[in-house]
Amino acid sequence: MIQCKDLTEEASDYLDGDLPLRKRIALFVHLVICRCCRNYLQQIRSTIKTVKVLQPKEKETIDTQALAHKLHALSCKHD
Amino acid sequence: MTKLVIYRQASNYFVTNFMKINSANMDEKILITDLINGDEKAFELIVSNYHNLMLSVARAIVGEAFADEVVQDAWISAIKALPKFEGRSSLKTWLLHIVSNGAKSRVRRENRMISLDDGWQAVSSDKFDNTGHRIDDVLTWEEATPEALLANEQLQAAIEKTFQALPPLQRAALTMYDMEGLKMEEVCNILDISASNARVLLHRARTGLHQCIDKFQDK
Repeated sequence: MIQCKDLTEEASDYLDGDLPLRKRIALFVHLVICRCCRNYLQQIRSTIKTVKVLQPKEKETIDTQALAHKLHALSCKHD
Repeated sequence: MTKLVIYRQASNYFVTNFMKINSANMDEKILITDLINGDEKAFELIVSNYHNLMLSVARAIVGEAFADEVVQDAWISAIKALPKFEGRSSLKTWLLHIVSNGAKSRVRRENRMISLDDGWQAVSSDKFDNTGHRIDDVLTWEEATPEALLANEQLQAAIEKTFQALPPLQRAALTMYDMEGLKMEEVCNILDISASNARVLLHRARTGLHQCIDKFQDK
């Protein structure tokens, strides 16, 4: 019997379609009867979409423009 | 009649996507030619497009201390090898494999290992009763679209901060799969981890960011 805790742990795999059919059906049945889990899943979906739009970046520690110039100079030298 | 509509929609879908892929291939071919010809703008473009992504992969494999060096070495190798690039994969995937290989050999040299559990906090178990059901109600978010959520600058800053505080392997899995659209198989090859580990990392990253957004809904 699927519980809310299981759905929380399997939410990503459920959304990505990466579960065996039996498990998928069991989670689907739980979602039909559990409004909290439906809302939770919707929140995870929104989180994924939001991160995709925002595209947060790594903290950069070097000057990338200087790196581009260095690579350009190297390529000219290489020729 | 309905079948005809479905066929037309499917055919439009494939034509649109085929054009998109071809247009991306063309752009990439032009970029590579410009790089080989030594166009300075092309170098700025390729570094601004891919440096951050390469840094994410290097940090995930070798850790913060050696990542910058590994990425710079990868760039130099890539620029030297560019005339031989055959286009069998996308430029992005090719660059990621170069940085991943460099980082893996650095790991072997330094004898370093990064734990998959590094910095992981599970969803608090006090959210569930002893039968595994939720204790508190989960409400829908008042603003659920990315545009509505990101209109809040404080939330935007909080998401960025949370993202940067995630363990490097989680950040790399999320960046490659959710943000860059790489296939799970590619993510696993690049990070040299199993599919089940990659799925765990991805879920943990998403959960961390979900918790950050959810806190703002309570305010």
